[in-house]
Amino acid sequence: MSVTRIVAEIKSYGKQYMRNKSAAFFSFAFPVLMILIFGAMFGSGAISKMTISVQNLDDGPYSQAIMDLMNKTTLVNIKMIPQGADVTEYIKEKSLDVAIYFPANFSEEISLGMLDSNAIAAKVVLYGDPSQSTFGTVASLTGQVVVQMNYNMAHARPLAEMEVRHVAKENYSMMDYFLPGVIGITVMTNSMYSMTAVCASQRSKGYSKMLATTLLRKDEWLISKFIFYTILLTSSLLLTYFVGTLVFEMHSNITVLTIVLIAAGAFVFTSLGMLLGTVIKDAESASAVAGAIGFPMMFLSGAFFPLEAAPSWLQAISKGIPLTYFNDALRDTMVFGNNISALTNLAIVGVVGVVVFVLASRLISWKE
Amino acid sequence: MSEAEAWEVSEDECLKTRAYPKRSGKEEPEEPIVEVEGLSKHYPPATKAVDGISFTIERGKVFSLLGPNGAGKTTAVEILEGLREPTSGSASIFGVDVSHDYNKVRKRVGTLPQNYEPFEMLKAIEALEYWASLFNMKKSREELVTLLERVGLGAKIDAMGGKMSGGEKRKLGIAMSLINDPELLFLDEPTTGLDPKARRDLWALIQRIKEKGTTVVLTTHYLDEAEKLSDDVAIMNHGKIVAHGSPDQLVEKYGMATLIVLVGVGQAAVDELARRGIDSHRENGNVVVPVTNPRELRTTFAKLSSVEIEFKDMYTRRQTLEDVFLSLIGQKMDEGVLRA
Repeated sequence: MSVTRIVAEIKSYGKQYMRNKSAAFFSFAFPVLMILIFGAMFGSGAISKMTISVQNLDDGPYSQAIMDLMNKTTLVNIKMIPQGADVTEYIKEKSLDVAIYFPANFSEEISLGMLDSNAIAAKVVLYGDPSQSTFGTVASLTGQVVVQMNYNMAHARPLAEMEVRHVAKENYSMMDYFLPGVIGITVMTNSMYSMTAVCASQRSKGYSKMLATTLLRKDEWLISKFIFYTILLTSSLLLTYFVGTLVFEMHSNITVLTIVLIAAGAFVFTSLGMLLGTVIKDAESASAVAGAIGFPMMFLSGAFFPLEAAPSWLQAISKGIPLTYFNDALRDTMVFGNNISALTNLAIVGVVGVVVFVLASRLISWKE
Repeated sequence: MSEAEAWEVSEDECLKTRAYPKRSGKEEPEEPIVEVEGLSKHYPPATKAVDGISFTIERGKVFSLLGPNGAGKTTAVEILEGLREPTSGSASIFGVDVSHDYNKVRKRVGTLPQNYEPFEMLKAIEALEYWASLFNMKKSREELVTLLERVGLGAKIDAMGGKMSGGEKRKLGIAMSLINDPELLFLDEPTTGLDPKARRDLWALIQRIKEKGTTVVLTTHYLDEAEKLSDDVAIMNHGKIVAHGSPDQLVEKYGMATLIVLVGVGQAAVDELARRGIDSHRENGNVVVPVTNPRELRTTFAKLSSVEIEFKDMYTRRQTLEDVFLSLIGQKMDEGVLRA
């Protein structure tokens, strides 16, 4: 194995990579932008007020009491729907995600219920589209307010309450939890997508055949790509971390294990890209195929959305994806400081990497 | 005189004369550096890409594999380049069996594959520096500039591969294939898809490479290219070599020596000549009378002068590889595609 040839390959590939504007964008600007955008959305912890449309046909005091309790949460602005309007038509016409409806006899039914224990409970009706996140938030809020009003009327108090405690350091922000996901996605997209395209275009443009006539060996070529992506992605991680820390005061740790993980990620996803590149004929199809594999991995790995509530078959698929273990390992070491768990996940990533690397190096051909 | 200047042979000068020497038959055979014997490459179930071909290539010569697309030229050359395994037969370079020990000759061989395009995001000089490293060579900037000047890219040293014209890209590819000063250079269809000017530039470059003593194996589907550049030509079709020799030898062996061309006459002239017992055929709007034996030229002219045919002009021309190809294959070739 020749160090000269490996260094030459890294230098040459690095120059070409960094001169490609879109590749440079996805390596450095994309993760920083992700951190900045998500940080602007969630990083401060402040939640902007939601507007809830309410139609109140009740002229009694209890519907007003519920609306007062809602206002006290400071989470909502209440906008009244005219009494004469058909509430379902109004929702459709205004494209509302959610609306609350108090029927005409709401307070009367509550009064009856207080006198007669067999009376039917008064109903506050929630209209809306359950697929929208606003609906879930308003449903939860309304439910809590109604329960609170029941307590108030019964002169009761809750006997058990929930207390929230952070498992990571107290001063960790949401961005600290978010950063490992961004790094995971960056490592996967950069190494896998570009290697798939590189392998396909090398073949279609005759580079592979020319390379095969030089002294460069296939394993030297593969190792040079792995080293390049480790350097590139570590630089990208440091930049993203620096910007995140500067702007959002993140406190998660970059440890030696984090850098080892970046190398392992570059190894497994570079190899996966090479493996895909062996079956793709041209560079044009490469990005489509890499996308078809990469996008599901992105979502099924739980990089951004926890999959605990997902169906069991989806969770099973998630367990078969290397990105899942890679993200978990990053989160383990950077957020929770649990290096034992991180090492376990790293071992899984490493084993998958070795298997894919061996397969890719056997299947990739510069010749026939 | 610098190395680059030593390469300065004008394009016209090297195209004025044919690249191959006239052979007297008494010439001492040169040392063969490529030997191919009964070489075959079959793909199941029934494709015979190369079907039992044999030839040798002497040191310092330009050898062309000429044939239509799909004739098996590239497959044959890629076996010699160590890129494909033959199904049967043997192929050796410098006495080394390429299917087993190609590594032993790798440093002595240069290659320009078919459809090669240079690295888009590397400057010409960077591409050469990189390529030299892949042969464990460290070249100075001066050496790299000299090489670029040799191939006619002296003004494109810092140009990105992706910004070059088609001809410049091929020249850069040839420069890369010359980085290790190869004794044997494979050029697989180096001028395909280029405009006539770029093709002539490359011909001049290949001629200069040959004059430096490098043996060149050229695959092409351009008959004029093979004729102008080659010392030896093997015409391939359906995986087989159907004819092999110098362009002169091929014309002598398979051609009809001389053609008398009657300009500005049509089918009526062909019919009239036939009545007089003179064989002729139409070609490109003219009527052509083939003369198989040069000694019959005088009598043929005498016969033609006695025929009442109004032609605008009359001239003789020697047959070319194109005529040989037509007589051997039975079809003309246009951009590598056989025409009925």
